[in-house]
Amino acid sequence: MVDVTADETLDCRGLSCPMPVLKTKKALAALGSGKVLEIMATDPGTGNDMPKTAKKNSGEYLGNKEGDGYTSYYIKKN
Amino acid sequence: MDAWPILIAGMLVGTMSIVCFTWARPWGVVGGMRVWADWLFYGLGLYSQAPRSVLIDTNSVITLGLIYGAFGAALIAGKFAFRFPPRMEIYKAMVGGTLMGFGASWAGGCNIGGFYSAISALSLSGFAMAVGLIGGAYLGLKYLYWEMEHFPSAAGGSAADGEGKKGFDWNKIKPLLGWIVLLGGYAAFQVYKYEGYTIIGGIFLCGMAFGIILNRANFCFARAFREPFMTGEAEVPRAVIISIMISVVGFAILKWTGFRAEGSYVTATFGLGSLVGGFIFGFGMLLAGGCGSGTAWRVAEGQVKLMVVLVFFASSNSLTKVWVNSSETLQTIKGFKVYLPDYLGYEITVIATIGLLLLWYLLVCYNEETDKFVVEM
Repeated sequence: MVDVTADETLDCRGLSCPMPVLKTKKALAALGSGKVLEIMATDPGTGNDMPKTAKKNSGEYLGNKEGDGYTSYYIKKN
Repeated sequence: MDAWPILIAGMLVGTMSIVCFTWARPWGVVGGMRVWADWLFYGLGLYSQAPRSVLIDTNSVITLGLIYGAFGAALIAGKFAFRFPPRMEIYKAMVGGTLMGFGASWAGGCNIGGFYSAISALSLSGFAMAVGLIGGAYLGLKYLYWEMEHFPSAAGGSAADGEGKKGFDWNKIKPLLGWIVLLGGYAAFQVYKYEGYTIIGGIFLCGMAFGIILNRANFCFARAFREPFMTGEAEVPRAVIISIMISVVGFAILKWTGFRAEGSYVTATFGLGSLVGGFIFGFGMLLAGGCGSGTAWRVAEGQVKLMVVLVFFASSNSLTKVWVNSSETLQTIKGFKVYLPDYLGYEITVIATIGLLLLWYLLVCYNEETDKFVVEM
């Protein structure tokens, strides 16, 4: 569990594989260096995908936080 | 709960594939869904002949078992929740599901029956479908990229239902419910035994085992075909390839020793059936967000998009089968049976099959290192 302030938020709630990963990839490409992206998702597989997605897209996976019916994942752009 | 490691899951699936065939028959997924759709169309007056009972037809029982086992596993792991997708995803579910059903009918099965079990059964059609699936997945991914550029806001997202509601906290008892579900499955086996249907009861248990493994590992064949183009990652395709290798060895032994019929799961689809059917299925599964088995276990964990997929997948498969069976020309176009041991003998067949799978394995590893086949957004 992390407590991070996000610079940008991506709402992927209700989306299933592979949309959360694809949208994260696109968002990370546009994100400025040092900024933090929060991805809100409900798909159970997302938790396993995020660390790898971060690494593959010049990011650092910071952790996640449980929300009300969803999980927030945090990635910091290198 | 952490997901099960995908390679271990792949090996378990390969083992279960042999167990299931030894017990009764190879596993499949779309066959069962088709029976359910057959009942729907029979009820609507479209078909004149009643299908076999959904509790007795082995196709139906194995898919029921898969969904049921995945349901129990999802509850235990805290993964079950109704997830409602936005409208665009529903449209993709309808189109994707329809294409999957159509493709699977031509290919003699879905990613399991037409690909996994077909290769295991030493049918060349399995490899033909693999080629089709690769092409279809590639095009499907290109479509998803295009959609993200042109309809970015369409995939907005909507909140999952279930958690956080005032009143009774279901999350506390979901794991217990999950165990009750799984025990209930074993009880169902006892009922089958009592009624003189032990084999079918065992098939139900096999289905449950598949469902549990696939759900807990988030094992998806759509991923296996998509990842090399999307991220370059080879973990999932490797797991699928190893899984099939294990299954091939088991099937070859069962058939070579005469314990199981040589013709089992060898379908008259080597030709346009497997290739084009695989292509259409591959494209459809990228839109749908799950393969045949993936649809089943995702339905079990409450993903509403995949429930829509299932309805269209099953219906289109049922209707396509009737259409193709009504015409000898279409059946000829579909293809013919190629049982590899008839041409190469068992020994060379096993060596060649494992060899081809190894080549595929090396190719995905090479792609992981070089990103050679990765499609940029």
